[in-house]
Amino acid sequence: MPEEKPKSIDRATLELIEKAGKDKINTVFSRADELKPCPIGVEESCCKICAMGPCRLPRPKKGEGKERVGVCGATIETIVARNFARKVAAGAAAHSDHAREVVQTFIKTARGEAQGFSIKDEMKLVAVALDFGIDVEGRETGDIARELGEKALNEFGKQEGELVYLGKAPLKRQELWRKLGTAPRGIDREIVEIMHRTHMGVDQDYRHLLQQASRAAIADGWGGSMISTDLQDIMFGTPVPVLGSINLGVLKEDNVNVVVHGHEPLLPELLVVASRDPEIRRLTESAGAKGINLAGMCCSANEVLMRHGIPCAGNFLQQELALVTGAVELMTVDVQCQMQGLKDVAECFHTRLITTSDRAMIEGAVHIEFHPEHGLDTAKRILKMAIENYPNRRHAVYIPDQRQDMVAGFSHETINYLLGGLFRASYRPLNDNIMNGRIRGVAGVVGCNNVRTTHDSAHIAMIKELIRNDVLVLTTGCAAMACGKEGLLTPEAAKLYAGSGLAEVCEAVGIPPVLHLGSCVDNSRILMAATAMVKEGGLGDDLSDLPAAGAAPEWMSEKAISIGQYFVASGIFTVFGTTWPTTGSEKVTRHLFEEYEELYKGMWAFEPDPLQAAQLMIRHIDKKRKALGIDKARDRVLFDMAMRRALD
Amino acid sequence: MPDYQYEEKEDFSGRKVKVLGPTYEEGKPEEREDWRSKLGGREDALRYIRTAMRYWYSKEWYGSEKRKQEA
Repeated sequence: MPEEKPKSIDRATLELIEKAGKDKINTVFSRADELKPCPIGVEESCCKICAMGPCRLPRPKKGEGKERVGVCGATIETIVARNFARKVAAGAAAHSDHAREVVQTFIKTARGEAQGFSIKDEMKLVAVALDFGIDVEGRETGDIARELGEKALNEFGKQEGELVYLGKAPLKRQELWRKLGTAPRGIDREIVEIMHRTHMGVDQDYRHLLQQASRAAIADGWGGSMISTDLQDIMFGTPVPVLGSINLGVLKEDNVNVVVHGHEPLLPELLVVASRDPEIRRLTESAGAKGINLAGMCCSANEVLMRHGIPCAGNFLQQELALVTGAVELMTVDVQCQMQGLKDVAECFHTRLITTSDRAMIEGAVHIEFHPEHGLDTAKRILKMAIENYPNRRHAVYIPDQRQDMVAGFSHETINYLLGGLFRASYRPLNDNIMNGRIRGVAGVVGCNNVRTTHDSAHIAMIKELIRNDVLVLTTGCAAMACGKEGLLTPEAAKLYAGSGLAEVCEAVGIPPVLHLGSCVDNSRILMAATAMVKEGGLGDDLSDLPAAGAAPEWMSEKAISIGQYFVASGIFTVFGTTWPTTGSEKVTRHLFEEYEELYKGMWAFEPDPLQAAQLMIRHIDKKRKALGIDKARDRVLFDMAMRRALD
Repeated sequence: MPDYQYEEKEDFSGRKVKVLGPTYEEGKPEEREDWRSKLGGREDALRYIRTAMRYWYSKEWYGSEKRKQEA
């Protein structure tokens, strides 16, 4: 009998999976044991976009050369490409609808109509206003913010032209997007166009379908996600390094535990404010609790961690397990990555499950809708519910004794500052250390957990291999949380795990070898950091010239596909693990894995073994170092004036 | 004068010396340091944006993108 794969590398997770099993509580781990992936769906060889099907077109048995087409004649290439493009559309829509909510709240904040919100970061407001061509001289903060909010909102419904933020990309990349016809016009337009083109009987050329997938994905990374990040920073503050802690051990037996789960930081920000309110503190004491313990889950956790140091209870696969502790009075969920299974687990305990977004309800959960006009009142109401629920604990509480300190809060602006201070903030030291070989390159390791891969294992194996080989890692989302639990987000980790060159630089700057840049919309911060490296000079003229690579070894959601597609369309070699959604068609896979290198100078790869995947990334980084001529030590040449003039 | 704590140790020649060892700040920061708070008003912020974030906000910044000889 084959040996059973461990479910997690995290002890807290394993302890609570065991507890759930003993208590006969179903979680994602037990459901995955009972439900295996569909063999047709896993290779995306199924078409169900019209009522003449569904048409199942699995790979033929060896020796059968049968052409695979659906009832309408659609080829397997069209079917697989349509399915892939729809994943990109869904992912881009998720990030961008998050952004829309942020922009609408931002406009209400600028008008003074959002209770509890304000403009906290005027410097970022001014910078983003300049991006949008807004005159800032002599104008009131609220006035600039109002104009910025309206212009940002216009990016969604624009029909012609280009997204404003494309102008922040390296010049060569902008030219390439225009040449390839992938410069997005408006965020919503590109997503809608995918849905139209993938309707029955419209676009039936896989290359053309995937071109539009790139256009929508760029509208996500350089549009919706970037707008989310920037306007959230203006309202809540651009992150600076902050000490936090992570894992299920952050829950406290003698406190009222409230877990904020989801993605939009709007309500969580106000829950932080409300938790410090004297009335709430008084109520907490009168309920017999020592305090309110706010803890985050998934990307909501990353948002409040980055800005307030609020502890993280865990990442995607730990959401139900937080409730299995029996210590959670209340969990709020807004949008994305929240399992419907939470409802059943909550019912086994006293936990109140609260949905807060008008776009996402869960049958059986209590719905308290968040509206910014009275957001702080809503936050207080939710905390009062949690306090009232504290005496209702009916099971013995079991909180694993696992928590780990970590440092988060590395926005691209903060990295710039850390590398040179206020007087000479710059990416120059990073570029110099890449050129001199102390740092081999940079990798963005991001994305989800997937129950089909041992929880956190692929993230940790890949990232340790990368930093061991002197690759600086930038991380976001659930990948960042896996790193936090493993102790990789502390400066001390450089000494323990990094190669000597990377460790030396980390020690000099005082940073960890793995930098936590935020939530999944904050992958836009990685794009900006990489762009700053290009613009600083010495590492080529485009993102594709950088010794850099991307990865999502435990990806699960459609958002991850959209992120990967915009990384690739921005020129970054990107490796995904666990599974790959175009295996049904060799031609489509070859297009994404090989032909994209010609088109976008960046391409996809699939490698389920995280160490092999890390090696693919390192080989790509080495290839780029060689192309830049920085693969070997070279004599330093002192330029005289004539040589300098020749450079101009 | 801050409340420095001195510790008596021997130097390489065996002489007794006082060192500031125990004053070394241990443990975790109670407050995070926000570098942005070092900037004053709008003018300071604009100046910083145009210099530190010159990659996007300075008209004089060329980096490697506008060289005659491509990288």
